[in-house]
Amino acid sequence: MIRKFMLMIFFVIIETTTAFANQISIEVFPSTPYDRYIIYEMLALFWAGIIGLVIIIRMKLKEIERIQRMESTEKEEKKIPLLD
Amino acid sequence: MRMKAAWQNWLEERYNIDEFKTFAASKLVPSHRYEIWYFTGGIVLFLFIMQFITGAALALYYIPHTEYAHKSIIEIVTKLHAGWFFRSLHYWGAQLAIAVLFIHVFSALLLKSYRKPRELIWISGCKLLGISIFFGLSGYFLLWDERAFAAVRVATGGAGDLPLIGGFIKTFLRGGIDVTGETLTRFYAFHVSILPLVTIFLIVMHLFLVHYHGMGLPRSEENRKHGETPFFPNIFYKDLMIWLVVLGIVVTMATLLPPEIGKQADPLAPAPENIKPEWYFLFLFQTLKLFPGTMLGFNGETIAIILVSFGVLFFFLIPFFDRKSSRGEKSPLFTGIGLAYMVYFIVMTIIGFFS
Repeated sequence: MIRKFMLMIFFVIIETTTAFANQISIEVFPSTPYDRYIIYEMLALFWAGIIGLVIIIRMKLKEIERIQRMESTEKEEKKIPLLD
Repeated sequence: MRMKAAWQNWLEERYNIDEFKTFAASKLVPSHRYEIWYFTGGIVLFLFIMQFITGAALALYYIPHTEYAHKSIIEIVTKLHAGWFFRSLHYWGAQLAIAVLFIHVFSALLLKSYRKPRELIWISGCKLLGISIFFGLSGYFLLWDERAFAAVRVATGGAGDLPLIGGFIKTFLRGGIDVTGETLTRFYAFHVSILPLVTIFLIVMHLFLVHYHGMGLPRSEENRKHGETPFFPNIFYKDLMIWLVVLGIVVTMATLLPPEIGKQADPLAPAPENIKPEWYFLFLFQTLKLFPGTMLGFNGETIAIILVSFGVLFFFLIPFFDRKSSRGEKSPLFTGIGLAYMVYFIVMTIIGFFS
């Protein structure tokens, strides 16, 4: 019993000495596992949204370029002189 | 849908919308193998807008006083809802904006986009780079931790080594002989009002000049046949896609690597060991290390600062020295000079980072 008590006292002293030497670091990111999980989940969803939007814009751009090509071909065709 | 039509009618009754559309469609951008570099300017603009938004949000809670500055940032990060995220976004947005701005400036330098009649575009861009670096330094100092304090003491002290005007610049920046609370107030004023106003003016001027002269064409592409793409909607849509990816990168970095907060600054304490400036000052820091304490009886640091100042001034005035490019001739000497600047900056930054 006394040995256990002495050991406990020893560890308490050791703990406190190292605690004084430690620098207090400021948490710059939520520390609870649940908050972290939510944040990483949101980040994954955010990227999914970005990729989705990029695909939509790219499809729209392809469509615009297709229309522009068709319009330029039409213009060129109108310029061709008619052979009567 | 009906609401949209009503809103469109309301606008069309008052403004000639078709004129705007024709104007936007008439703006053409040359397509060639170097066109990718055009997008770096758009990325910088997007990041600047993001910095204005996140900075405005942070300014609502930041207290520019020596007693409360550090505490207010800790409160923003630990107590405000998503405060840590906004601070982290602002930090990574700044890092990326300066990095992309360097890429934009070096690409303009190597493609000789500064040549006649585009000298003022180059000068306004270089000024924006200088202002962005000062934005970074002043923003870093607002943290009021021991590293930021030491960095500003070194940076303003370095400016003080310039002959004749150095003393005035140092006192003006510090608001006194040493870095104190006065410096914090000054840097806050620079960061949230003076620099943003100058930045907006320079961005408007830069964009107006780019619109006026059109997009710069590399000399090697001038004699080649190349197509032209309408800015709206083609280039605008491409810009949008790139901005979305850049936003994703900034958000990811802000989430995975939130910037640390050090111990509160103590003006009487010695500077912490192994301190390094922000990455965009590392080349300068490393250059200063190359010089001995005294050279030919003069202070080595003063000589280094003078040489660096001449180097920066030459960089700034390159369009006026490169006469061959202005005449439309090949200018290999200035290509070499541009490459030397870029390689020196990258190598010294890497050495400074790992040393």
